[in-house]
Amino acid sequence: MPASNAAAARAMTYVASLALGAVAWEAAASRIGPAFLPRFTTTMARIYEYMLSGVLLDALLSSLSLFFTGLAFAIVIGIGVGLLLARMRRLRIALESYIMVLYATPMVALIPFILSMFGYGFTAKSLTVFLFAVFPILYTTIEGARSLKPELLEVARSFRSSEWEIWRDVLVPYTLPFAMTGIRLAIGRGLVGMVAAEFFLSGSGLGLLIFRSGQDFDIPGLYGGIIVITIVGVVLMGIGRALENHFAAWRGLQR
Amino acid sequence: MSAPGIIIERPANGSRLKALLSSDAGLRIIAGVAIVLFWEIAVRLWAPAYVARPTGIVMAVPAVVSNAAFWEAAGITLSGVVQGLVIALIAGTLVGAAIGRIRLFESLLQPYLNGFFAMPMVAILPLVTLWFGYTGDARLATVVFAAFFSIALNVADGARSVPPEYIEVSRSFRGSPWSRLFDVILPSSVPYLLAGLRLAAGRALIGAIVAEFFAALPGLGYFILVNTRTFRHNDAFVAVAVLTIACVLFEVGLMRATARFLPWYRRDEAGS
Repeated sequence: MPASNAAAARAMTYVASLALGAVAWEAAASRIGPAFLPRFTTTMARIYEYMLSGVLLDALLSSLSLFFTGLAFAIVIGIGVGLLLARMRRLRIALESYIMVLYATPMVALIPFILSMFGYGFTAKSLTVFLFAVFPILYTTIEGARSLKPELLEVARSFRSSEWEIWRDVLVPYTLPFAMTGIRLAIGRGLVGMVAAEFFLSGSGLGLLIFRSGQDFDIPGLYGGIIVITIVGVVLMGIGRALENHFAAWRGLQR
Repeated sequence: MSAPGIIIERPANGSRLKALLSSDAGLRIIAGVAIVLFWEIAVRLWAPAYVARPTGIVMAVPAVVSNAAFWEAAGITLSGVVQGLVIALIAGTLVGAAIGRIRLFESLLQPYLNGFFAMPMVAILPLVTLWFGYTGDARLATVVFAAFFSIALNVADGARSVPPEYIEVSRSFRGSPWSRLFDVILPSSVPYLLAGLRLAAGRALIGAIVAEFFAALPGLGYFILVNTRTFRHNDAFVAVAVLTIACVLFEVGLMRATARFLPWYRRDEAGS
């Protein structure tokens, strides 16, 4: 009972905070003027309009298909290569500093290269999301592999585990929680990659919705688009955090 | 599959080279050479002539490095990033400490902090250019926006997890609220602050580059844009390399400073 009460209280303060924000926005808008800050109610009306006409759903589906294509490749390749490097110690030592450098590389700077090498189709855009998302996953998986205690492998080997059994019973369960942290980071970065691809490669989805509103000086539409993409970000990050917490139990630490 | 860690070296033949090649540094060098060779060969075989490749980049370095416009662009971008980071650091620390210690601020502002942190910051570019025009201020605003929330969020976490005993001691010695903030809360949040700053620096640099792409502002991002458009990929790649080096240097500097000044602190204890 107390737990659900606390959750209800938290939800209440959340709603109250958002309501206060809306009031403050409305008050500020009447001072600043619609050219820079439209009224909150006007902005919400625009979002509702988008929802009714189906524009929002189309944009959302287009953006999310781009995002999840890139993220899926990033997860498969990031975890796959990460686990492989976990088993091949010398290859890991050889490659890990280069992977760290790539992790530090600001991937947005590569977008103009992607544009002139791969064009501006769906492939080029999902490649952008992939590049943004893959390195946190790869890096955290390797980090997890590095902290794998050699005793665990020794025990597995003394019980004559086959290579497949080592992967199934030791490697994957031990490393996955680390990879989940990487996936949470990758979701945040992948979203940036998604919008950047939609802005700078070819207009589509939510990015185009925002971009075009800006070009047309459709200010309520601009704010509306930004609100929608913020909600998308909050939901996706929430999923990432939930995944991470779920698997963190495997690590034996509660967050 | 190689046996982990055990390398038996025969002393015969004085095979120093072999020892080097099987050491960690040797492995890294071999891998580096292999990557560069693969890149070079792959581009020569399959890619159009304008695509960046190691020899092309090396040959482009002298021209780019002796180009005053390049250093001017680098200076503009990096000083914009540093300015934005300083603003975000000061504002983020104060706001974060307030949210972490004062219940009212926490319930009022925490949802917005989480929301803006989760929002892909590229999306605000049209808004930023609307508010600040196509000027350097737009880049500065983007950088501050990109960096502020990760610092504030982490400092709030840090301020929240100050051990209550510390606060009690400060109270019993009749410490003023200011001394509590500067002598207890902020020092004890420094590890979180550093974690936030690490994250913020990467985001700030991305913010500066996308602002330059979007608003065609002079800087390294624009340098990359112009050179790739005119098919001088090798020149543009030198700029990418400079950006990457700046990121790595910042990261290494922060790690060194942490080890030097906060030797008790381990990075994975605070949120990333």
